[in-house]
Amino acid sequence: MEEILGAVFVIALVAHLLLLGVAAWRVLRGENAVDRLLSVELVSVLALCVVLLTTLITGQSIYVDVALGLAALSFIGTLALAKYLADQRMF
Amino acid sequence: MTVVVQLLILILVLIGTSFSILGVLGLIRLPDVYARLHAAGKVGVFGATLLAAAVALSAPSTASKALILVALLVIAGPVVSHALASAANRLGIPVKHALRDDLAKARRQLSSAQPNPPPDSPC
Repeated sequence: MEEILGAVFVIALVAHLLLLGVAAWRVLRGENAVDRLLSVELVSVLALCVVLLTTLITGQSIYVDVALGLAALSFIGTLALAKYLADQRMF
Repeated sequence: MTVVVQLLILILVLIGTSFSILGVLGLIRLPDVYARLHAAGKVGVFGATLLAAAVALSAPSTASKALILVALLVIAGPVVSHALASAANRLGIPVKHALRDDLAKARRQLSSAQPNPPPDSPC
């Protein structure tokens, strides 16, 4: 049962890394600014998934703090950029 | 860990990964920004949340932090999607195959109120 679990975790990790590549390619090739910003937010969420999968694979539970910080900070960054895009000024 | 918990973790990871795959597939295939927001929002809320639940099950010592992460993701996901959608709307990005546009009147009032009109070409 253990090796099945490990295999599934590695497969999921590889899948998420491929998705990360696709989302990063979308960041470069987005048609307009909001589309690119959306892809940046998706890259940060997929990076969060990769961090969570590393906690499952390695078993060290220190990575959950990394995921927590990443989730909180990427959320604030995307919000600030969305507001900047909407109003053309930051504050 | 009993076999039941391991099976549950397996199912959670598989469903989370399928949500992520469908989300990114939607990001590529869907016609315009607003539809893509639906797809990307699902990855954040469902994909990462199920993975965090799997982490909570596999390492009970960090269950509290994983649950805080789940709460943060469930709250932050829709807020970011809404902010992006309103930014796209204020930039005047058209909705493809739009049946009706409720915000057109609001946008006209907004543009008439503002001295300089918002940039019409989506940057």
